[in-house]
Amino acid sequence: MAERGEGGDAPLPASIYSDEQTVWADVSPLLEAACRDLRDGELIHGENFSLFAAMSALEIMDPKMDSGIEHSGYHSIEEAIEDGAAPIPLSFDRTVDVQCTIDIMDHFLACEATWHKGHSLAQTVFSCIYLLRLDRTSPHALLHSYCRIMRATCAAVISVVSDARTHEEEDLFTMAYGLPLKGEGDEKCLSMLNAVEETISRQLRACKASSSKKGILENIEPLQTNLDLEEGYCKALLCRLRFRKHFYHVLMCMKKPQGRGFELARKHIASCLSELAYIYNSLEFLGFNAYGSCQNDIEDSTTASGRQPVGFDASLNSRLAAPTPPRAIKILSWKKAIKYFEKLLHDLDTICSFSMDPLLEGILRFVVQFQKSQPDLVARAHLQRLLVQDGKLYGRDPVFDVICRAAAVSDVPKNSGIQKSEIVLQLGQLAINLLKILCTNAAWQRRKLGKILQDWSVIYVQLELASKRDFAETPNILTDVNVSMKLSKHLLIWTEEQIYWIASRFLMLGFELDLYSPTEYCMVYWYMYVVLIKLAEATQLRMGTSSDIAKRKGKKKRDLPKDLAKDSQIPPMVLLLQCYICLSEGLTMMLAALRNEHKIFQRPSAFNTEEERFIQHFELLQRAHVPGHISYMLFKESTSHAQFSTLVRYNYFKDAQRIAKELRSSFSSDSDRLVELRQIEQVAEHNWIALNVICQAGAEDPSLKISFEFSHHPCFAIATVKRS
Amino acid sequence: MEQHVDPSSVHFGNDTNNSPLVGRVKKLLNHRMLVGINDGRFFLGAFHCIDKQGNIILQDAVEYRSTRRTSPSPMEQRCLGLILIPSSCRSSCHVDCSIEEQISLLSLQK
Repeated sequence: MAERGEGGDAPLPASIYSDEQTVWADVSPLLEAACRDLRDGELIHGENFSLFAAMSALEIMDPKMDSGIEHSGYHSIEEAIEDGAAPIPLSFDRTVDVQCTIDIMDHFLACEATWHKGHSLAQTVFSCIYLLRLDRTSPHALLHSYCRIMRATCAAVISVVSDARTHEEEDLFTMAYGLPLKGEGDEKCLSMLNAVEETISRQLRACKASSSKKGILENIEPLQTNLDLEEGYCKALLCRLRFRKHFYHVLMCMKKPQGRGFELARKHIASCLSELAYIYNSLEFLGFNAYGSCQNDIEDSTTASGRQPVGFDASLNSRLAAPTPPRAIKILSWKKAIKYFEKLLHDLDTICSFSMDPLLEGILRFVVQFQKSQPDLVARAHLQRLLVQDGKLYGRDPVFDVICRAAAVSDVPKNSGIQKSEIVLQLGQLAINLLKILCTNAAWQRRKLGKILQDWSVIYVQLELASKRDFAETPNILTDVNVSMKLSKHLLIWTEEQIYWIASRFLMLGFELDLYSPTEYCMVYWYMYVVLIKLAEATQLRMGTSSDIAKRKGKKKRDLPKDLAKDSQIPPMVLLLQCYICLSEGLTMMLAALRNEHKIFQRPSAFNTEEERFIQHFELLQRAHVPGHISYMLFKESTSHAQFSTLVRYNYFKDAQRIAKELRSSFSSDSDRLVELRQIEQVAEHNWIALNVICQAGAEDPSLKISFEFSHHPCFAIATVKRS
Repeated sequence: MEQHVDPSSVHFGNDTNNSPLVGRVKKLLNHRMLVGINDGRFFLGAFHCIDKQGNIILQDAVEYRSTRRTSPSPMEQRCLGLILIPSSCRSSCHVDCSIEEQISLLSLQK
């Protein structure tokens, strides 16, 4: 029976040799017999075996794990090419050839957008057989130049994203091993593309000239054979080529250090957007003139013509995606891809038009504002690379200077060695990390912010200790001491402000990510209220110290601005925080009163107590003592007596509205701030009305249906009251 | 091929299995094992574990697949690490061993 094993159904592959002194012995019969001798659940294994580790084994032939499963398609790229899956030229009919090339370009765009949205490169852009064997396409100048710039673009985008390392959760993005991402001559991709563009624009000119009977300019061979369609096809190709060209320029300009290429990048972004519009407008022409039947609905189609493109096969290199599971992915439609690129270009434009504010406060505000539009990975990576290069802000300002500026330290003692001190170095590192974290996606960002809070509070304690120590060991030269003491005081205040800023961002991101249930809003707003008060205090302190300096400097110069007196009272920034404090407190009390008197929004869940939820939500803050001495008990105490009768008398929402109105003049030149103020006013007004309605209806009216919506602000809810 | 198992060698509840066959398979642990599966692929790795149903776990496994439908054709390979090959898709199974070991394996099958 031994022969059966030797000559089994599948011959052993010749390329897998056994060692010289050994042979391949068939053990199937032995295994079969031995298995029969095994008891149920018994395993044969060695001493290094762990059941836990064995659970992580990749299961062969499992469609969700085994990316190498034989699909009915081709075994290799070469086999596919031999079978004519990616012909060159695409057709001997030159009109069809042009049509097919346009389809490929459109599908590329859809693939690229899908890739940017988080799928693997191998399953999207590199599902193109032409791209996988680029040299084959060289006889077809149009296709060749397009493929080459595609490849160069992908490489450029990957390099930005992997430099910035904003892609932790989107790690599929940069995985490109096994793919021919870089090739010789890719740096010439622009000149190749330009040459092709030049030819086609001449063909377009010639065609226009002949149609207007102005005489033939030159003896130019037309793009394709159907002269009625010549102009349409030339235009369709030109906008696609030009989009590629400008997009590549955008990437190259934005790559320049310290934002030096931003001005030029913005011009290319504008060109990109106008070419995208042309591409979109070619839909009608291409759809109408599509050869063959196109059953695809244009909404789902990845091409403007609605046809399937030639030369793409995602299963061909799906095994390159290992060890990731072979997910079946859906390529975005062509229309959605265009929408994606429009958004990406607008986001990049926002980055390029950033004034590169030297003040950290302004940067944080810009990043938060930027994140509001939910930019995708590529745009966020670009922002991060702008902010942090070589460990410096904009690759230009040392972190220590940035912190000093932010902390309003006027004169740093030279040679004091403070820049080199351990704590200050760590503080710089934390500031850099904070900037990087703020560029990641919302979910990742929140998790990271929660974690770094602890580091910040540790450094705060260290700074506090160090400043006390310095004070105790006062050396004799008084002025120096004064300066360094002032420095550490400023740093301390600034650090505290950052801690509460991070905490407030952490809490607010929870709303954007939909992490809180309505029954928990009360505790969340309460915590926000507590954190915001601390933040306002720290901000006031910092601004107070900085305006002292400003005042002193101003007096010397004798040109005091007239509203200095007003400024020195409460800075607008603090008043703005005051608005949010009022809103938070108002919402906390309203929710608490609803609980106490209407018995709604009461029980969090059948599975855990409210206290457990409190701990789950705020554990990271509590562990970092942000703020100290805050507990569930305190929350209970401060909310258990809330009643509508007292709420109406002392109205937080009215306060918020009043302050917001007053603030308008302070922020009159800042449109973003004005929008923010308008939002605050609306939230306050709606809630004030709701409060009155509930009060008038009386506490026991069962027909009132109260719900909370985020229609005017992402974090501050509006109570809506309906009668059922 | 029916293997005659001495009933005294199977003791349920006893920790060690005294079957001589199981003992032989134990000796093969950590040997290089080449497993062929129904769709034509081969997996080469260190024999790590087998259960009663005949599912095999290989360590540091490499997948071999032919690049063309028509054989013989060049093989393409990639590393997979720890893999589990269900017995249902296994079509062949070989172990790398010395000639003497092979003879003793063959004698067993007689």
